[in-house]
Amino acid sequence: MTQFLLLSLGGLRIGAIYALAAIGLVVIHKATRAVNFAHGAFIMLGAYGGFLGVERWGLPYWQVYILVPLGVGLLAAAFEYLVLRRMRTADAFSLVIVTVFAGTLGSEAIRIVFESETLAVAPVLSGRPIILGPLILTLETLWIIAGAIVCGLAGIYVFSRAGMGRAMRAMSANLRGAQLCGYSVDVVYAQAWFLGGLLAGLAGLFAAPRLGVSPELAIATIVPAFVAAIIGGFDSLKGAVLGGLILGLLETYTAAFLPPAFKNAFTFLLLLVVLLFMPDGLFPERKARRV
Amino acid sequence: MSKLFQSVLLGSVILPALLIVAGGMLGLGASSFAQYLATQIVIACLVGVALVMIVGYARVIMLATGAMMAIGAYGSAMLMLHLGVPYLLTLPICILSGLVAGFVLAVPSTRFKGHHLAMATIVFQFLVVIGIREAGDWTGGALGLRVPNVDVFGISAYQDGPWMFFVAIACALAIGSLGVLLGARFGKTLKAISDAEVAADAYGVDLVRFKIAAFAISSAYLALAGALLAPGVRVLDPESFGIHLSIVTLGYPIVGGMGSLWGGIIGGGVLRTLPEALRFLGQYQELWIALLAIAVMMINPGGILGIARSVLPASRQQAKDVVSAAPVHGAQPAASPAPASAEDAIRVTAGVKAYDGLVAVDHVDLVVKAGEIHGLIGPNGAGKTTLFNAISGFTPFDSGTIALFGRQVGNEPSRTRIKHSVTRTFQHVAVFGQLSCLDNVIIGLGRNGVTDALAASVGEVAGTAGARDAARKALDALREVGLENLAYEPARRLSLGNQRRLEIARAIVSRPRLILLDEPVSGVAREEEHRIAELLAHLNRQHGITMLLIEHNIAFVRRLAHSMSVMAAGRIIASGDPEQTIARPEVRRQYFGEAHVEHSA
Repeated sequence: MTQFLLLSLGGLRIGAIYALAAIGLVVIHKATRAVNFAHGAFIMLGAYGGFLGVERWGLPYWQVYILVPLGVGLLAAAFEYLVLRRMRTADAFSLVIVTVFAGTLGSEAIRIVFESETLAVAPVLSGRPIILGPLILTLETLWIIAGAIVCGLAGIYVFSRAGMGRAMRAMSANLRGAQLCGYSVDVVYAQAWFLGGLLAGLAGLFAAPRLGVSPELAIATIVPAFVAAIIGGFDSLKGAVLGGLILGLLETYTAAFLPPAFKNAFTFLLLLVVLLFMPDGLFPERKARRV
Repeated sequence: MSKLFQSVLLGSVILPALLIVAGGMLGLGASSFAQYLATQIVIACLVGVALVMIVGYARVIMLATGAMMAIGAYGSAMLMLHLGVPYLLTLPICILSGLVAGFVLAVPSTRFKGHHLAMATIVFQFLVVIGIREAGDWTGGALGLRVPNVDVFGISAYQDGPWMFFVAIACALAIGSLGVLLGARFGKTLKAISDAEVAADAYGVDLVRFKIAAFAISSAYLALAGALLAPGVRVLDPESFGIHLSIVTLGYPIVGGMGSLWGGIIGGGVLRTLPEALRFLGQYQELWIALLAIAVMMINPGGILGIARSVLPASRQQAKDVVSAAPVHGAQPAASPAPASAEDAIRVTAGVKAYDGLVAVDHVDLVVKAGEIHGLIGPNGAGKTTLFNAISGFTPFDSGTIALFGRQVGNEPSRTRIKHSVTRTFQHVAVFGQLSCLDNVIIGLGRNGVTDALAASVGEVAGTAGARDAARKALDALREVGLENLAYEPARRLSLGNQRRLEIARAIVSRPRLILLDEPVSGVAREEEHRIAELLAHLNRQHGITMLLIEHNIAFVRRLAHSMSVMAAGRIIASGDPEQTIARPEVRRQYFGEAHVEHSA
């Protein structure tokens, strides 16, 4: 039982990071209809930002946690403004291709700049672990689970409640209508990408101490983020949170109880199963009628 | 019509094959490293062309290229190592394995659209590499697999020159056969699907099966490319067939051009050569391929080929000057119905279709007699389109029956309508823009199964009687609507009026018994409207084709139709002779909003 609880805590820890990653993916998709295959690269950039800030420049953590997400968010907004804005009439096929290559661009640029292998970042909180009976709860675990989920919920709040969120939702429902009501597509799309990038940068910061900092982080996080988003229904923000947590738990249990070969393949197999048997996820948004 | 076969034969089969073999010949005198490199480049061309089929034609974001090539490379090496199969014999086995792998990936995945499908290919990519790494006993695992020396007709894979020559010939054959598929019926049907899915479906194209076929065929060629690659690289390493290879190769068709096999050859050739030619680019390969791909998608999605075409002077300028000459069918509208048979062309009984409580079609009965033109009018939201979609098979009724020429069609999908001799046109024109008018009409013949298309591809290149017959029928249909002068023009260049004519030609070429016309003159000029009316009346008289006509344009219906029905709020409120029907007070009230008709009547 203790073993199970400890595993669950580990699962929630990685799951919270996945959830944060998935929320960004869903925010961008909900507002702009683009599926961001470069999201993993944004997360990876966040992790590298953490490494630079903490290890190279020795900045205090609170500054890193403000500067890095802002930087990744601005980068994402710049990508939307410089590239995607010029492709407004392009179909989904072209958009996905561009984000695939944008992600490659990000991880390859990093590979060239940081020639070394996996880099390490010290955890934020390294104090004495909390002992709850038989359970040992490190502060790092607590920080990731609580911090990532709070950040994710804050992102959801901004998207759902603030004026920016209303504009995004209006545009995804009816682009022309929203434009006629005075919303500017360029501004709102850039905001959506900013918010998505910001969340990705945060996810990278939370992930860096656990998963290590390397260009492979891009691929290692885009797939779970995608799985979490699909489990949640791809357009549901609370679904993305639950999807991330569910995925984290499932991954951790299988890693503990199944042979290692299976562990590597697990997320991929799960993605296939989810796509095949519940393509609309747990929280399907009402689908528009096909004309 | 020989033009058609010649262009396919030359452009897609003979020229690329010759080019590749000639490249191999030229390289014979070069240095050993250059020869090794030439082998790699030729294989990249083959990969590029295989990806043009799946990425460019079938519009699938393929990120499992590395996995498919690994299946070929590892398959070939393992067959030689563990079973002692001679190399040449491993090639067909690898092709078959690629075909099966593509099929296995495609059958579940083609149900997904867009990004989900792209993700499914990523999943496949990783699972194959993980499988190779885990099955170390057979595959060498992470340590790699040494490929045994290969001896083909006395040529060893360790002799770079002769081996390059062998690979060039094998790739030329492969690219030539891909050219047959891409340049002729199969490739054109894939393009038709990407241009106008609904129209392809209405003419019997099974969208899912075509996508699966494109996946399987493309994968088979990728596996062959892997098997050709293996002996030259000597040691296979699972990482070299990883997602990075898939992303780099996805750049081939995108940078080269997705619209023809030449794009694949150029993309594969250029992107594989550049890092070697400009050594400082070598280690940044993925970086600048990514940059190039993004730039192409932003600036000119046609790729290098598209840019070249837009810069070079157009060779087929004369086509623009040709203006279609509408044939004169006599100005007489169809005054009396065409010879009516005893049969009913359409008999809808108690049809009901509801959307979330809104009853769009409410217990409708509709009878259209064979041989007549029947007009269906009604205000917006009356349920005309829903009724039309049910008859054409796009949205089945919740309850009620539809019989076409006495046969119940129940819930048969729309693509089977053409088997009942029923075709249709579309309110928003749905021509296949990339295809010539002739090819648009040939698809209208309705023989569009996957195997039909594969066979017809070979037939077109060989110029068989069947292919010539199809082209002749299509030309006849184009002549009938007055578009024969534009037969070889891409349909997207036509004016709206001519596109509507083209839709009519496509609808009549199979000699259907019933055509469903969805607002055939919406958006066309007044004069063109009269000509289309004459054309339809002529087709009705000449071939006895029954027509169901949805229109907002009452003058058009009144002029053309032998009988008509009026819908309002999901019900048919009046039907019969056009003049009398339009004159009925309830019709005038519903349709023209005249509240005072009782007084004037």
